[in-house]
Order: sequence, then structure tokens, then C-alpha cells
Amino acid sequence: MEDVGGVPRPRIATGHLAQHIGKPVCFVGRVEKIHPTGKLFVLSDGEGKHTTVELSEPLDEEISGVLEVVGRVTNQATIMCMSYVQFREDKSPFDLELYNEALKIIHEFPEYFPFG
Amino acid sequence: QRIRSQNIVPCTVSQLLAAEQVDETFRIRDVEISQVTIMGIIRHAEKAPTNILYKVDDMTAAPMDVRQWVDTDEAGGENVVVPPGTYVKVAGHLRSFQNKKSLVAFKIMPLENMNEFTTHILEIVNAHMILRKNLMSASRVPQSFSSTGIGDVGGYGGGGSLPVNGLTAHQSQVLNLIKNCPVPEGMSLQELKLQLHNMSMSTIKQAVEFLSSEGHIYSTVDDDHYKSTDAE
Repeated sequence: MEDVGGVPRPRIATGHLAQHIGKPVCFVGRVEKIHPTGKLFVLSDGEGKHTTVELSEPLDEEISGVLEVVGRVTNQATIMCMSYVQFREDKSPFDLELYNEALKIIHEFPEYFPFG
Repeated sequence: QRIRSQNIVPCTVSQLLAAEQVDETFRIRDVEISQVTIMGIIRHAEKAPTNILYKVDDMTAAPMDVRQWVDTDEAGGENVVVPPGTYVKVAGHLRSFQNKKSLVAFKIMPLENMNEFTTHILEIVNAHMILRKNLMSASRVPQSFSSTGIGDVGGYGGGGSLPVNGLTAHQSQVLNLIKNCPVPEGMSLQELKLQLHNMSMSTIKQAVEFLSSEGHIYSTVDDDHYKSTDAE
């Protein structure tokens, strides 16, 4: 499995996928559906837009809630997942809409939040 | 003139890697920085007798080395290693050795509320924007700026009321103009209004009242004229 852990991985929302085809990215979203094969799942971003995430090996655990996925954007504008992490929400729910607003800001001001 | 940040600056790993080193000091946008905070996920943790070495990843670059010294004298005090996969906030000092940058952490705290991460993103943009504004402004006085402290989930005003120096942007602008005024009777409210096109007279008066009550300025010939208490 390709490791993109050593390079910049811009934080994006669904709307940014098209501009990042072929590139490593970091996507945070809420689990909406998981394919029965366990090799595909769908996340929704802070605007409710869906992104499909593919895995090279099927999931070996239950996933739910908010996930942060690192991977590469495919030509079909899905994300080929390298790794993922579940955001803890045991103490407080994660405000995905606010995160989306923060994304807009870092995309508007890349000089103050550089990737790479 | 050396401009030194007296506060802890929230940064991305990429910003730390890009910081310029001059002798023993680091600069971002010409402001000397030393204490910084980063937030990221632990990718690797290695325990040694005197320290724990983490690799912390915030997605902006490759993971950064973060070293935490262990107090070997602490009775029963085994520094607990934070496990990989945990999101943490790190407060520490920037270091460089053989051209490789790292952090020496004085505090590493697992995030309990991931919304703090979103706040940290916003704090970084805010802090670095203010750093740049200070650089662009003609002020010759070293500016420190405030970023919220460790564990703070800071509140932000809109527009011109972001705190810098403990002063809002409006208050800072008024104070700078008064400080730089050379005439003996100081600067008048009318002159301030002429120079500060985007500020209403009532905003200016509010700023002057605050600055006066805090001791930054004092009235001279009348209540419309002010000088700064700081010698220039």
C-alpha cells in the first residue's frame, strides 16, 4: 500500500476533489454508508456532500462517526485510502460544519496555512 | 530592531520547517519565535531512558520530531507514552540540529475535544495574519501578539476587534498614531479622525477612553488632545 505519510496532504472537502486528482489529500467526513464488501465507504463533508473512499483491503473493524482519511484522489474523484483515523466524540460531538468553514479559510489564505 | 514574539505562536509543521534561522533564533515573517504550539496526530513514539521521541503529523508536511524530556528523578513518575494514533496539542520550543528542525516539548496533551483542532486551524491563520500585519505596519515598537493560551478555546470578535497586544486592532491603530505624533500638545481627536478614514468618531472616542484608562495615553491641553505615556 502506498505510503503518502511523508508529504503534504491538503485538507479538502468534496468540492475540492476535482482540483486534486492524482494528489495526496486529507479528508474529514461522517460515515454515511459502508459497502457490504467492506472495500468501499461513503463519507459526507461539512456541507453534506458525499465522497467515496476505496480501500485496497477490506475493513477489519466497524467504522462510524467522523473519520479522517488520508489517501490519493483517483481519476474518478474518489479517494484511495492509505490510512484513516476515527475522531473521538466520546466527550463532545465534532462540529463538521465548523470544520468545513475552517477549510474555506485555509483555502482562501494558503499563505497563512501552507501545505508543503 | 528586533521584533520578538513574547507569546506562544500556533503554527503548522510546514511553517516551522520554513522558519529562517539566524544564529540561535528563528524567525517567521521577520518575527522572532521560540515557543510554539502544533496540533497533530502521533505517528510514532519511542521511549528512551531520558526522553520520549514522538513523530507528530499535522498533514502540512512530513511528521515532525518532538522530544519530551523525562524527569528521571520523579518518584514513581514514569512519563506515560502517548500512543500513536492519538491527536495531541504540543507546546514547545523550536530547535534545529544539523539542519533538521524539531521541537522540545514542555507540554503534550491528548485532545479530548476534536473541535479544538478546528479552533487551532483558525488560530494559526489568525496569528500569522497578525504577524504579517505587524510587519507591514510602520510601527517601530516591538509588537508582541496574543494567541490564546494552552487549552484555551479562544473567542474571536469579528472584523476589527481581533486582540493584539491585549489591544484590539482599532485601539492599536489609535495608539500608534498618538505615539508617533511629534507635537508637544499631542494628537487631537479631529486629527485622528482625519487619519483613520474607516473609523467612526465614536469608535475613536471609545478607543481613546480605553487607552487613557489603561494608562497608555494622557490628555494634554484639553480632553481632545492626547500624548502617549511610552517614551518613543
